[in-house]
Amino acid sequence: MEKKQGYQYTENPFCVSRRQFITISGIIVALMALPAVWLRMAVSSRNDYILARTKGLYKDDVQAKIRVSHANKVVAQYYRDFGGEPLGKLSEELLHTKYINRAKGIS
Amino acid sequence: MNVAARTYQKGEIPGVIAIKDTSCKGCDACKRHCPTGAIQGMFGATHHIDVDRCLSCGQCLINCPFGAPYETVDTVNEVMAKLKDGGTTVVGIIAPAVRVAIGEDFGLPPGALATGKLYGAMKKAGFEILDNNFTADLTIMEEGTEFIQRARHALFGEKAGHGAETGPLPQFTSCCPAWVRYVETRYPTLIPHLSSAKSPQQMAGAVAKTYGTRVWNKEAAKIYTVGIMPCTAKKWEASRPEFKSAYEYGRKTGSAGTGAPYPDVDTVLTTRDLSRLFKKLNINLATEKESDGGSLLAEYSGAGTIFGNTGGVMEAALRTAYAVLTGEELKNLEFKAVRGLRGIKSASVTLKDSKYNKDVTIRVAVVHGLAENITPVIDEVLAGRSPYHFIEVMNCPGGCINGGGQPIQGGGSSWLGAILPWFAWK
Repeated sequence: MEKKQGYQYTENPFCVSRRQFITISGIIVALMALPAVWLRMAVSSRNDYILARTKGLYKDDVQAKIRVSHANKVVAQYYRDFGGEPLGKLSEELLHTKYINRAKGIS
Repeated sequence: MNVAARTYQKGEIPGVIAIKDTSCKGCDACKRHCPTGAIQGMFGATHHIDVDRCLSCGQCLINCPFGAPYETVDTVNEVMAKLKDGGTTVVGIIAPAVRVAIGEDFGLPPGALATGKLYGAMKKAGFEILDNNFTADLTIMEEGTEFIQRARHALFGEKAGHGAETGPLPQFTSCCPAWVRYVETRYPTLIPHLSSAKSPQQMAGAVAKTYGTRVWNKEAAKIYTVGIMPCTAKKWEASRPEFKSAYEYGRKTGSAGTGAPYPDVDTVLTTRDLSRLFKKLNINLATEKESDGGSLLAEYSGAGTIFGNTGGVMEAALRTAYAVLTGEELKNLEFKAVRGLRGIKSASVTLKDSKYNKDVTIRVAVVHGLAENITPVIDEVLAGRSPYHFIEVMNCPGGCINGGGQPIQGGGSSWLGAILPWFAWK
């Protein structure tokens, strides 16, 4: 057994009461949780404006007098005066297109 | 740009989005939003964009916390010059999603429906109005008819006169230029599945410079079409060299004049670009008086306006397809199953085809947010076991209303911008 030396230092005991300890750890946990809250707020507000704009367009749909494309009088007028019919010759020329294969450029 | 752009045709804008090296912090926030992994660069190093993979969708641009991505094409001044030029009729093609977002740049709350104010402001600036919702209705007529033809071909073996052959099912929508480019660069075997119908913007350009010459009483070469889009990829789409069908039509009928070939859509402004233009002209959209479109081609239906939402094209197509197939109007127009923000939405409609007097079940799917949701749907189609007949795809989460050209909503670390000036080191 080693003999205890007089100059040997012992640390003070942890002088925080139980209640103080709970308070301090509570504050630390709250501080650590803050970024998580900010993150959640950022994510949810991202959906907020998407939903607001979505609602705006559905409102435009509900308040429209005509709500189906084939009842649009100007569309009918366009086909009657000029375009012929859907998938007709002129529609094929003006309103349809072809796509190209671009996959070769991707390595 | 160090790599030659190999996936672009001659004349196309080789990538609308670029990243500013001085602003990029290498935080990787954008990579989560990129549908194709086009953003290169290690965490902590300055990022750059591989233009061959890039779809120009602009999702990185609206989601970057530091505002590092920017658009390489800015034609605000060009459009302002055309507006001043008295001999030119400048036609603004207003996309559906613009009317619920542009107010945000002028202090209106997000989602405020500002169609009337927008019309008013555009007229004040000198635009003629062609509402893209009108051509959205036209798209439904073309794309819906094409779908009915494909479905009848697959189900009843009907022969069709559309082009040389009838395309396979499922039919994909073709309104979203980023999605079209995604198929063209990554899944060329799926090209026959894409609807051959042009996007509403390109239809609008072609209609404005053919039928529009009668509406505005102006020769085609003097009509300058400006797409007002919530989208950066539309800038690229408008530059595709095959989109000058109005010019070719004009050559055939002798109305094209002797000038240079003109594209269907001359230039595209994003929603942000348009508010910049309004601000330069001292027009405050928020206090503008409500106005009507004032043109034949500004008439639109409710089905056309919901194109800007995810599921909107599908809903509009179902409304018309139902009426055409059954011969009677739909009682409840709203298809709730294709609405909302779930990644992949599906629905099925059973109806009686009046021509063949048989019951058919049409199964449809709606996909938005390519980055997260497209792979399982494409795998099913490639394996030939897709249960769907008609699939709507939009690149951006939520659809066009959350497009890459829309006003940027503060999120993430944008609050840092407000407190940074308090610190000496900025």
